[in-house]
Amino acid sequence: MRVELTDILKRYGKTTALNVPKWTLDEGEIVGLVGSNGAGKTTFLRLVLDLLQPDYGEITLDGQPVSKSVDWKVRTGSYLDESFLMGFLTISEYLQFTGSIYGFQNGTTERALESFASFLPPRTGDDGNKLIRELSSGNSKKVGIVAAMFIRPGLLILDEPFASLDPPSQIRLKRCLLTLARESGTTMIISSHDLGHVTEVCSRITVLDEGHIVKNEKTSSATLSELQTYFSS
Amino acid sequence: MNSIRGLDTYRLLIRNQWRTMRRSTRSGHNLFMWIVLGVMVAYATFTLFVLGFFFDRFSIILFPSEEPVLVVNKFLLAGFLSLFFIRFLFQKTPRMILSPYLHLPIKKRHLVAFFQASSLLTIHNIYPLLFFIPFWMRFVRPEHTVISSSLWLASILLLMGASHYGNLVLRSLLARRAAWFYPLMALLVVVAIVDETSGQGLTSTISAYMFAQILSEGALSFGLICGVFFILAAWSSIMLMRTLRKPLASSSGATTKRTKFRVPARYGITGQLLHLEILLMWRNRRPRHYLFLSLMFSTMYLVVMMASERVYGGAIFDGLIGLFASGGLALNYGQLMFSWDSRHFDGILARNITFKQVVHAKLLLLQLSCLVLFVISLPLFLWFKPELLVVHFAFLFYNAGITTILVMELASRNLSPVDISQSGSFFNYEGFSAKHWLWFIPTALPPTLFMIAVQDNLIVGLVFLSSIGLVSLLATDMWTNYFANALTRRKYIMAEGFRKHAR
Repeated sequence: MRVELTDILKRYGKTTALNVPKWTLDEGEIVGLVGSNGAGKTTFLRLVLDLLQPDYGEITLDGQPVSKSVDWKVRTGSYLDESFLMGFLTISEYLQFTGSIYGFQNGTTERALESFASFLPPRTGDDGNKLIRELSSGNSKKVGIVAAMFIRPGLLILDEPFASLDPPSQIRLKRCLLTLARESGTTMIISSHDLGHVTEVCSRITVLDEGHIVKNEKTSSATLSELQTYFSS
Repeated sequence: MNSIRGLDTYRLLIRNQWRTMRRSTRSGHNLFMWIVLGVMVAYATFTLFVLGFFFDRFSIILFPSEEPVLVVNKFLLAGFLSLFFIRFLFQKTPRMILSPYLHLPIKKRHLVAFFQASSLLTIHNIYPLLFFIPFWMRFVRPEHTVISSSLWLASILLLMGASHYGNLVLRSLLARRAAWFYPLMALLVVVAIVDETSGQGLTSTISAYMFAQILSEGALSFGLICGVFFILAAWSSIMLMRTLRKPLASSSGATTKRTKFRVPARYGITGQLLHLEILLMWRNRRPRHYLFLSLMFSTMYLVVMMASERVYGGAIFDGLIGLFASGGLALNYGQLMFSWDSRHFDGILARNITFKQVVHAKLLLLQLSCLVLFVISLPLFLWFKPELLVVHFAFLFYNAGITTILVMELASRNLSPVDISQSGSFFNYEGFSAKHWLWFIPTALPPTLFMIAVQDNLIVGLVFLSSIGLVSLLATDMWTNYFANALTRRKYIMAEGFRKHAR
């Protein structure tokens, strides 16, 4: 799925949250969005998902403006924060519900989830009876991320997916993302503060600073040290 | 390191409370809403003041042979019991968040003392005074000694305080044992019916005796009132102190209900969304209470309304009975729709669900609720007032067709989040704003006024009422498109409002 931002301007009062004259993401690319707190990463992702209205400019997914069409939603999986979860459902109920709105039958949902089973919290016994709001923040995040991935979307959008996950889960998540990209050709936008993980997974890094794109480069063996130098300066 | 001094604590808490108040009122309403509210407040103030100051002119109509003070004395206890009930339903528990202070070097007793004192700043402690102060100045003070009239006024203030702290105690108890609410309500209704129907007027006899004794400087009644006040104030302080030590978070497994049933895929996305809404209602404390409240309206409340003698305003009562008997859930739960979804609203917007599907499911739920409540309350109509069956039947169509649409119009403008799972008290009107109260006027007034207008030709009127309901019901698809378009326009502002819960 191709993503294109043109002349995007988003302000909160007098503060410019995001100012992007031009930014494109080609089909199958994985871009890592990095930047300090308040740099505009979440605003960027919310704008792409049509959760915020830009003051100016247009965002298109495969040429369709996100604000004028909803067709892109069927091919988009996303998890930004806990507002994407339904805390009063069990893990299975939530995943079944997500599957059903993307046209999966019950059996198909379970089959689609098999690839992500090692990353999901347990769904049997007492754990399976727990509501999502009763899970730890790390486990509930895993549920949200899997719900965005198992539908095998054309575009996957994740906001700080590695934060608050334990180290084994971070490694499993990296594997899941790379497998999804290889098997389904999913285009991804992943924001993260973890420079190590994001340079491992992403083919391109976009650095945001105070709402402006200050770097937008293909990942290479030198990217990690360059980013570390940039953020420590 | 020492705790900060009591005076500094109170100064800090007052400053933060003031900021909270200023920032919540500044953003809440638009100018029109402020004007409407201002007019209503001015009207209510004027009415209460006139009623208090010129009470003799009103009491002479209903109780021509009795002194105004004796008339008021008779109804004081019942009045304060009603005030207690009003508080229980409508008074907000002050939303002062204590948890940010708990880890700071502040003594808990200072926090509790401040909370207890600041909680008194509520409108329910002001409007009774608009009646009692002018009444006291005009009728009590001139006729009695300084001591006896002062004792009378002090008793009024203490009873107001007692109803205030009693309400906090009851809420705290119910927050721990929510199931107590229903037997308590049933007990209250039974006591009220017995007192009313037995013709004894026990409450008014006790009230008249107590306040007559106070006016003759009797210490017993005044001491009793003082005792009740201090016991309730101390009790609510102790309960609050316990809450600080053991937070009331309701997210423990013990309070959540599990209902396992799946909606077959053949019912499509509407079936899935309906299932979701029912689970939301059942598994979350606040919406679940709205469900039970609606059941109460359609059962216990209905019994009281139908059993009482209706000398005046029979048509109004019939209209209200019709409206609430089948439309209770639509009116109660429906008005906060979308706010119930505030915690996962972004998730709905980003997923493969259209507003048309969401609205369709919500309208269907409200319409079905009218039918279910109609069936539940049907035996009560057959038992108590078979002659009102025709009203019940006509209002089924009116509620399903018109009330649901009016409620959805309000709900599609909701901007305030509701924390459905973490309700700290029993009735905490989170998510409510002035427009919810004002909206009751166009929702409830037209059908009740219509019932008055057609009371001489009831059948024709009811046929008309049910017909417009039926026509609107048949136009559900049109309404669905209308609301879906409205929500598409408002989605950004709604999402922005709902996101505030995370801040």
